[in-house]
Amino acid sequence: MAVKEEGDTSQQGKKSRSRLILRLGALLVAHSGLVSVVCCAAGIIAFILLPVLANNTYISENALMPGSADPAFSSQEVLDANRLTMDILNRGAAKASGIEIAKLLREYIVAVGAESYYHKFVPRANKFHPLHFFSSTTDNLDLPANPSCGSFILNAVGIIRAPRGDGKETIVLVTPYNSQNTTYSDAVSLGIGFSIFSLLSHVTWLAKDIVWLAADSRYGEYTTVDSWLKDYHGPAFPGETSRIVDDACFEENNSDSLDHIKVEGHNSYVYKRAGTMAAALVLKVVDKKEEERDSLSIYAEASNGQMPNLDLINIAHYLAVHRQGLRVKIGSIIYFLKASWVKLLGEMLQHITTLAKRLNPKWKFDITSADYVEGTATLASSIYYQALGVPTGSHGAFRNYQVDAVTLEFSPRSSLNNENVRSAFLLKTGRLIEGVIRSVNNLLEKFHQSFFLYFLTAPHKYVSVGIYMIPFGILIAPLPIVAAALFSSNNGSSNKDGSWKWLQAAKVVFLIHLWAMITSLLPYVLLQLPLGTPSSFASAWAAVAICFLLITYLILWSSSIDCGWELLKSVMIVAAAIGLSLMSVINFSTAQIGAMLIVPMCLLVKPARKQTQGVFAKALMLTSNLALLVVAFPPAALLIAKTLFGASGNIDIGDFWEWAQILWSWNSATYMYLLWIHLPCWVLCLNIFLYPCIGSSSKA
Amino acid sequence: MATRDPSMICCFRLLFLLLFSVPLIASSSSWASMHHNNWAVLVCTSRYWFNYRHMANTLSLYRTVKRLGIPDERIILMLADDMACNMRNNYPAQVFNNENHQLNLYGDNVEVDYRGYEVTVENFMRVLTGRHDPAVPRSKRLLSDEGSHILLYMTGHGGDEFLKFQDSEELQSHDLADAVKQMKEKNRFKELLIMVDTCQAATLFNQLQSPGVLAIGSSMKGENSYSHHLDSDIGVSVVDRFTYYTLAFFEKLNMYSNASLSSLFNSYNPRTLMSTAYYRMDLYQRPLPEVPVTSFFGSVMKTIHTDAAYMGLSIPPKTEAQFLPGDGGNHQLRIENEPDLEKDGNKQTKELHCIYHEWLNLLQERFENTDAELLFRYGFGTMVFLLTISTWLLA
Repeated sequence: MAVKEEGDTSQQGKKSRSRLILRLGALLVAHSGLVSVVCCAAGIIAFILLPVLANNTYISENALMPGSADPAFSSQEVLDANRLTMDILNRGAAKASGIEIAKLLREYIVAVGAESYYHKFVPRANKFHPLHFFSSTTDNLDLPANPSCGSFILNAVGIIRAPRGDGKETIVLVTPYNSQNTTYSDAVSLGIGFSIFSLLSHVTWLAKDIVWLAADSRYGEYTTVDSWLKDYHGPAFPGETSRIVDDACFEENNSDSLDHIKVEGHNSYVYKRAGTMAAALVLKVVDKKEEERDSLSIYAEASNGQMPNLDLINIAHYLAVHRQGLRVKIGSIIYFLKASWVKLLGEMLQHITTLAKRLNPKWKFDITSADYVEGTATLASSIYYQALGVPTGSHGAFRNYQVDAVTLEFSPRSSLNNENVRSAFLLKTGRLIEGVIRSVNNLLEKFHQSFFLYFLTAPHKYVSVGIYMIPFGILIAPLPIVAAALFSSNNGSSNKDGSWKWLQAAKVVFLIHLWAMITSLLPYVLLQLPLGTPSSFASAWAAVAICFLLITYLILWSSSIDCGWELLKSVMIVAAAIGLSLMSVINFSTAQIGAMLIVPMCLLVKPARKQTQGVFAKALMLTSNLALLVVAFPPAALLIAKTLFGASGNIDIGDFWEWAQILWSWNSATYMYLLWIHLPCWVLCLNIFLYPCIGSSSKA
Repeated sequence: MATRDPSMICCFRLLFLLLFSVPLIASSSSWASMHHNNWAVLVCTSRYWFNYRHMANTLSLYRTVKRLGIPDERIILMLADDMACNMRNNYPAQVFNNENHQLNLYGDNVEVDYRGYEVTVENFMRVLTGRHDPAVPRSKRLLSDEGSHILLYMTGHGGDEFLKFQDSEELQSHDLADAVKQMKEKNRFKELLIMVDTCQAATLFNQLQSPGVLAIGSSMKGENSYSHHLDSDIGVSVVDRFTYYTLAFFEKLNMYSNASLSSLFNSYNPRTLMSTAYYRMDLYQRPLPEVPVTSFFGSVMKTIHTDAAYMGLSIPPKTEAQFLPGDGGNHQLRIENEPDLEKDGNKQTKELHCIYHEWLNLLQERFENTDAELLFRYGFGTMVFLLTISTWLLA
């Protein structure tokens, strides 16, 4: 008896405890309207505050020790760089055959005493592979039927083996250049690359091998670097047909250089490798001539919003600013720099933060208006490029192999034709790159100490994942609450068999998602058809998709009416919440932007014909619903963004096709998000908006 | 000088004691409570290239104590030893502690006892407490005794009451205190100087409670210890501030100098050190101004000069022992050479409980009060006498 009683009391205790949680939950659900308004507002405000919450970057890995050693890059190396630059310009201009520069580079590399070889490949266009998202290794063996001779690309590669190193790790230096149309800045960047390479060939402190890839970017630098990396990481079979074909092409095309090839022997095409890559630097020079100081732009975004370790950016920034006196820039969206509302917001925040500081001096949310504007513009660009999922340079190819890489783009303060400007510029850039390489050389493990998930709001300020997840979490928190509220209110009002009604709604939601998935795969079929222009592709895609949608609705008609719009909305919201949560793990920026569009739409949407008291309230609801429905439609959103950010020109339906093409050709998860989560959610919202509440039918 | 009668009585007492303590003498090779040997345990607890300075610290101190007279066989050197042949080292097989590169610390005579991954907390504790596997060679053991002065130097990365060993384990202040306590119990030292150069070094001494321990740390709780300077050629910091100024102090000294510990301690300037050096002296009895640094960092032993060995028994001594202390004029020399005797008189009462100690004290007293030569003769005579008696008894 006693035992039983005890059991009873414990059960009671449990009940009362769980009751508390339930009561809290019920409280939230009961006030779901208020909760969703508060959460949405808080989420968006917190998101706008991100530039204020940004922290200063710091070098997290002890082993890096950037700038602790004096650079050895001297005027001798500047002379080397100048010599090669002149040689390239002279020889390259004389024979624009595409391989002259590679041959010249190889001569230089061999003269320095390093290993060298030619890397050769035939570029192929990126095609739509529906099953190849997230896997960057498209097979290299599917040859085009007739590889046209002369379309192959020849890269010169040099390897320095660390004299006392174990040969297990390597640092890669990439200098892209265009062999068909070699500009002066291309030649200068090759010159810098070579001068660093020749310096490193006789230093005694190397612990990692150095690989220098002079990448011919005639067909895009990413393609070249990616193909080289594929060969580096994939097995090579000596009897491979493609290579034989390439060789034949090579010798046919260049009969005048045949002697040279014979002297060098076939050995010069044997692919050589060094260890696993610790880091890669892509080095570029652009001749912009608009700054008062030499400047360095850092590009870091790789595919699907992946970033290199923050430490790599930190050391480049630290050395550039504190050692070489360069101005460091990272991308920013000009619209935000000029927008008056951002400036106004910045001034307001400045007042608030100074007030807050007066209240408690320990709070470090001190920001000036100008800082806020710049931070917002930089953050916007950071989020945009991550959300797009398209790499901002050839460093993106390295990220596919989990190698940390950045593009360092140098621009001199005035024209490089000036001797003094050029040598000072070469000295600075050379020392910076030497410093970065020496710092990475000190590394004992892979980059792991600092962040991989972050946004930059300035070259020396970052917002880490721990901070930016909070606004997102707050923003999507009302979704499950509202779903629960809708579900419970519907269940309470209807009769007993209503408890299984949600399955009907789930069926509708599932079929719409299925339709979206089919739509996302349609381009693969359409690409087989001989449709000429992008606009015809786009219209065909839209037409087929709408047809399928109508068919789906014909099937679903009865069940979509049966279940009632509340249940439909509740299930749709659940699906959207799951989709957004999943997407936030895959590519946070996409999920954040998507959530800012989808969440208000999902929460607000109501049938247009629903009776509400008050004309004003109804009008407000209608207009807000309509506005959100327009804004959240992906093509409309693209149009709005295009006009807002100042891209002029006539808008063509083909643009959407091209835009989608960019996304899938870069294996961007944003494509999947748009078509698998965003689009079905929008269609369902539209369905709810046009829901026939009083019985008159209306099709979506 | 003592009169004849008491000295004779003493001699009889000596003889008497001797008879009882022969087995003890045979078992022990040392003289209790007298400082007669010096050991050093030098530990660098970090590894990896960016901790170059810790190895340079340890090697510099190794060089200094060797220069000041501790022989290699009495130095236990624990080093990760991955700097000299590190591929990032501009100067292969050389280690420097200064950017002028004048002094290669990794010269010909560096005997590293525990190398690389052997530098663990376990091995460190084993060295201190003397609990080794039987297979461990004598050269890797701390074979100190109750007359040893031990210098324990440690450097690395530390925190509040711990010291990190090679990024994989920690030595806590409790562990250190426990090891020292065991050493005291096992009479493995007479005096112990613990010198630690690490962040928050002072906290490492919090748990110590064994008498005879003197501790110096480079920084107080909550303070960091900083490196002294960067060698922009090698690309790393090469020495820590505390060790740098310690070495600067010792560079001015030689084996025979008589600078006291307090002068070493006073040489630390918190401004140049960028941290506050901390001394824990409450466990240490002797006044620091009278303790020469060489009693830990050197190995200058007192030599008891006897002519008998050269002259034989028959010839009476002609000269008084000159190195023996006894009057004020020799004070400086005594400090430098053998500072223990003065204090031992005070300690006598404590140590009387042990018969062995009593006889040693007596012996010491003899040394102080009478002629060493005379004592030696009595002792020798007694031994002959005992030998004859024992042979006679056996026969």
